[in-house]
Amino acid sequence: MHITVTFSTVNRHLRMNSDIFNQSVLPLKDKLYRLALSIVKDRTEAEDIVQDVFLKIWSKQDEWELIDNVEAYCYRSIKNLSFDRLESMAARSAEKYNAEMDNMMFIDTKNPHTAFVEKEQIDIIFRCVEKLSENQRMVFQLREIEGMSYKDIAKSLDMSEELVKVSLFRARRKIKELLEELNK
Amino acid sequence: MKPTEEINTLLVKYWNGDTSLEEEDILTKYFSGEDVANELKSYAALFQYRKKLRCATLNDDFDRKLKKAIRQKNRENDYITIRIFVPALRIAASVAVVLALSFGAYKMIGKSDKNYFAETYSDPNAAMKHATFALDKLSEALQKGKEASIESIRELNKIDLDWEVLDSITEPDTNYQKSTNSLPLENNL
Repeated sequence: MHITVTFSTVNRHLRMNSDIFNQSVLPLKDKLYRLALSIVKDRTEAEDIVQDVFLKIWSKQDEWELIDNVEAYCYRSIKNLSFDRLESMAARSAEKYNAEMDNMMFIDTKNPHTAFVEKEQIDIIFRCVEKLSENQRMVFQLREIEGMSYKDIAKSLDMSEELVKVSLFRARRKIKELLEELNK
Repeated sequence: MKPTEEINTLLVKYWNGDTSLEEEDILTKYFSGEDVANELKSYAALFQYRKKLRCATLNDDFDRKLKKAIRQKNRENDYITIRIFVPALRIAASVAVVLALSFGAYKMIGKSDKNYFAETYSDPNAAMKHATFALDKLSEALQKGKEASIESIRELNKIDLDWEVLDSITEPDTNYQKSTNSLPLENNL
């Protein structure tokens, strides 16, 4: 009798946690995937990283109450795991990176010429972003792609708001200079 | 203010990191359109990049893989829990057996103690009197036993036995019997 009650409690607890997980963690998957992708530059690897972070969060259900900002926690976990993986991965060439991105993004309905011009231009931005420092690149990613506030970026990357602003300012300046240089 | 001027103002703010998220969306929308001013076209790629990269998403297969991995993880956790508790239960069972044996042994020794060391006298003089009486009786009995034994040996010695004939019948070891003319018991008394 005692065992039945215990298992029933565990099942209810699991269902409740499953609901929390589905509502609070799972919807972040694409944002987390893009951050991982911006670091490791490999779609399969980025997908694995997101899955590993989700599994880690799922297996630490006892610690959920201690997490005050799930999104920031997820971003920090993705950032840390991505850099760990990056160290263990062979260095990837810019060509490989661009090929990965091409496959991912350029499914377009525009005419071939416009699509080609657009691809060339975006290719330039990829090269510019590659020249940014680690911090600048992550801040740039979270602001430009994910549209996050400075405060949220600071929490997610575990840095001060001031450093976020400075990193973003420098990243944009560098990209502007590179764009102007390339278009001369 | 002309649209281009407005965009230029926003761009200056953007490069300085002073734009809000809404203003950045205005820029993205402008640069994604067809009417981008020639002098601003060099910046269009940046905003198109923003828009394009937001399309990078995980495919539907991800959820299926994740669910499978979570199920696997739950099973692993259950297995780990069982594996953690099995040795603990074994230890608990062993401790229970040892305790039961110790308790049994303690009870048995306690019972024996009572039988061997129980006090039956409250008056030491009475105890001494009874003990002296018992010892006197024992001494008397032993003395009687000794006297009876000596008398029996004397009676035996009075009998005229031909030891050589007896030895030839009973003992093959003749050397031992020749060295003794009386029974060993008599020498000890």
